[in-house]
Order: sequence, then C-alpha cells, then structure tokens
Amino acid sequence: MNLLASKLFGQLGFEGFALGAWETIYLTLLSTLIAYVIGLPLGVLLVVTDKDGLKPIVWLNKIVGILVNIFRSIPFIILIVALIPVSRAIVGTSIGNEAMIFMLIVAAAPYIARMVESSLKEVDRGVVEAARSMGASNLQIVWKVLLPEAKPSLIVGAVISTVTVLGYSAMAGTIAAGGLGSVAVTQARPSNAQDVIWLCVALIVIIVQIIQELGMFIARRTDKRIQRRKRKTTEADRPQA
Amino acid sequence: MIELVHLQKVYPSAAGEVRALEDIDLKIEDGTVFGIIGLSGAGKSTLVRCINLLEKPTSGQVLLDGEDLTAVKKKRLLELRRSIGMIFQSFNLFEQRTVEANVRFPLELVHTKRAEAKERALELLELVGLKEKAGAYPSQLSGGQKQRVAIARALALSPKYLLCDEATSALDPQTTESILALLKDINKQLGVTIIVITHEMKVVESICTDVAVIDKSRIVESGKVADVFAFPKSEIAKELIIPGLIRSVKSTGGKKLRLVFHGEEADTPVISGLALRLGISVNILYADTKIIDGGTYGHMVITLPEEEEKAELVKRHLTEQCVTFKEEL
Repeated sequence: MNLLASKLFGQLGFEGFALGAWETIYLTLLSTLIAYVIGLPLGVLLVVTDKDGLKPIVWLNKIVGILVNIFRSIPFIILIVALIPVSRAIVGTSIGNEAMIFMLIVAAAPYIARMVESSLKEVDRGVVEAARSMGASNLQIVWKVLLPEAKPSLIVGAVISTVTVLGYSAMAGTIAAGGLGSVAVTQARPSNAQDVIWLCVALIVIIVQIIQELGMFIARRTDKRIQRRKRKTTEADRPQA
Repeated sequence: MIELVHLQKVYPSAAGEVRALEDIDLKIEDGTVFGIIGLSGAGKSTLVRCINLLEKPTSGQVLLDGEDLTAVKKKRLLELRRSIGMIFQSFNLFEQRTVEANVRFPLELVHTKRAEAKERALELLELVGLKEKAGAYPSQLSGGQKQRVAIARALALSPKYLLCDEATSALDPQTTESILALLKDINKQLGVTIIVITHEMKVVESICTDVAVIDKSRIVESGKVADVFAFPKSEIAKELIIPGLIRSVKSTGGKKLRLVFHGEEADTPVISGLALRLGISVNILYADTKIIDGGTYGHMVITLPEEEEKAELVKRHLTEQCVTFKEEL
C-alpha cells in the first residue's frame, strides 16, 4: 500500500497532494465567497445606476465602471506584485494563504461585479415594469425581482467565477501560499518531477469538473423556465365554463 | 376619476426631439371601460404609462381623483400606483415564481401576512378560473392562462383602475374573446374602471363604453363608443372603425348613403323594406353589421337611385325607420 502510494504520489506522498488539493479548494471557495460579498452589490449598483436603470446616477456608474475595468485589465501576476505592500498594510502579511486570499478577492470582485451585472441585465424589462406598476420600491425590485429572476444565471456566473478564481489560485506559489498550483510550480518544477506535475493537473481538472457539474446541476434545478408543458395551447385556452 | 390635463411627453433623441404625446386632455369617469385606440407608433403605449407615471410626462398633469401624480412625493406615488393595476401584452409574469406566488407578489410588497396573502391569491385565481394552476410556473401555461394570472395579480391590491396595454394583442381570437369577457366581468362585478389600449377596433367594440382615438401623438376624437362608432369624424377613426368603407365608397361613382346602425333596428329589415314598400332596389356596396345584445350595430353603404325623387323616397323611408344615415361622395 505504502509502496503503491509512493509510486503514485512520488516524493510528495499522499498527504502532500491531499493538502494541496484541500488548499486549492479552500483558497478558491473562501476567496470567491468573500469576493461575492463585494462583487454582488457592485454588480447591482452598476445595473441600478445605469442610464436605463432603476435609479440612473451616471457619474457614479461611470466611476465604478472605470474602476472595475482597471482592476479587470491588470494581469493577476502583476496585481499580486503590486498588491504586496497593500496586503502588508491590510492583512498584516504579504505572503501565505491569508495574503493570497486577499489578492484573489481584489482580482475576483470586479470580475464578479461584471458577471452579476450581465446576469441582472438579462432580466426582462417588462417584468421590472410590472413590478414598478404595482408600486414596488427600487429596493424591493432588486430583492424581489432582479435577484430572484436572475438566480439561475447568477449561479452559472458563480460557477464561471469560481473556476476563474481557481485558475488564479495556481499562482499562489509566487507568494508562498499553498494549493496544487503551488505544489506543481514551486515544489515539482525545480526537480522536474513530471509525474507530480501531471498529477496536480489531473487533480485540478477533477476539481473544476466537480464545481462545474455541481453548479450547473443546481442552476438547472433552480430554473423554473424550463418547458414542462403537457397540454397544447389551444386546449388550455378554451374559454372556461 | 382619472384626468389628463395638457399632457405632453417629449423624448430627447439624436435626431432632435421626439414628441410622443402632444397636449393630451382626457377624462376617464369611474366605472367606465375606456378604450384608447390608435395605430402602432401613435403614442398610446406612452400615454398609458403616463397614467401611472411609469413614464414621467414632460409637462401637464395626471389627476387621480383630483390628486396630481406628477407632483406627489415618491412614497405617495408608490402608494397611488397600488390603486392602479396594469396588465401587458407580454404578460410580464415572474418566471421563477409559481402562479400563486405571482399573484401574491403585490401583497408581499405591502407586507401582508403570508397566510392572508395566500388566501387572497387563491381567491383571485378562482376568480380568473385558474385555481388548479396555483402551483404551476408561468412557463407551463398558455398565453391566455398567463394573461389570466396577470389579471389576478393586477387585482391583488383591489385597485380602482386597471390599465390594459395591448393585453390581447398576443392572443388568438378565441382566447382574446375569453379575456375580454373576463375584463368585462371585472368591470361589472368589481366596479373596476378599465382603460384599454389597443389597435383593434373589435376590442373597443366588444367591451368599451368610451373611446378616444389617438393619432400622431394627439387625441383626434373621443366620446361614447356608440357615437364615435356611428359618426367617426377623423380620417384615422374612419380607417380604424370601417376600414373597408372608405375604399368601397371611393371606388364607385354616384351618390351613396352610409347607414349607421346602433342598436335599435334589429327587428325591422330596412333594405328589404325599401324593395317591398317602395319598389326601389339598391345596391349594397359595403356592409359590416353585427347583432350585439339584440340590437344591430355597424355600417352599410348603399347606392342611391339616380332619380332625385326616388332618392328622396329612400331617405324618407330611412328616416321613418329611424335609421341614421349620411350621404357620402
């Protein structure tokens, strides 16, 4: 058993991979989750203050839009380097998992804001208009119409965002944080341990697959728009007796 | 009562201003079914949205029982909107909510207790004949059923008014009929004043008591449906009410009479009376009449005999029969 394990997992051992996988999952999910706490309201803000939005505030929309674009256009590896002093000031350290989570949040929040924005913009304007005609306030429209109606799309967006963050997390090695990316880049790469690298790749693929399939499954289950009609229109439309 | 006073709506656009509504004055009395008819692009959708201020008029007033909606505070506006229900051409149901939760939505907005709201929702669904669909989702319903749910939802807060924006335009004729019957019921039984926006004369004919004709951003005529129907003044009203008439009148020479039936002459056969009593036979160039509640409604165009005398006889006969007519050239 031990022999098999050492053959399979090389010099790192089973524990090394398990730790790496766990750290990848933990970095990804925790960062994405916190990034949503920032990105979701930002996305809502972008939609609401849009010139066709519920409460157009053009200057605010422009400023937030530009900030989001700036952060989205910086390549993550450069963002990491740039954020080192910021991280030291805010998190108290510029290395390790905590610092990495901070940087992932900074990178992911603007991305998520755009994902949320595009999901919310998919909501039929007519539905929003109907809610307005019933005397719904803007806050009620956001909570009771936009977010619930966009839920399946928001979940799909969350899956894509999570996978993107997982990709970013592979650069954790740069600042001595953990995860499979770090295992592959900082531990296996110098000794050219091809088997370890490929095993990391395989594990990442499996994790992405699980996130993807699970997320899409939930999105499908949530969406009530799926046609499950049994009767034909003409039959159902006959005037009621 | 809803009163629109000097209502004006101007949209800025790249090519200059677009005047969607020009100097609209309308009075909509309580208890009526008020039709606003016009071709697409005439401004009728903008007009109806100005009534509940989904569109803010550029100038003018919208008086809801004397209260000017354009002048009230935001909070009061939201309250007032609750007394005006609205239904749409595309139904606009919440796709992720069940039918019952759709109807319950307006009640949630005013924080009605859940059990109470649910009871009210089911009551309304019963009214529109869809109680058994309470747990279904909109995507499982047909167009007609969706509009019924939308009607139930619009009635949830017991509004005094109901705005219908082309509510039957996306439905087939049969379904349209059943939805119109439902609206008529709602007007009669619940006393809800209904404002109907449409481009179809048959919608106005079948449920409206009053009508306003809108063309190129202006109200060109308005009045009781029977009056406007009998004597359309504007070209556009004629075109909407009797589309075949103008063509048939223009295509033949000679003197013609347009007979208007508005309900009374059902049991006296006018044309055959002409032939039997006077021995004068006339050509019918156009006829579009129907019997509603025992009375005949509609228009007919006949040729007048060449001879003055005979023509006079025809007219006298018609006057005796109390038929309204007008000479058309």
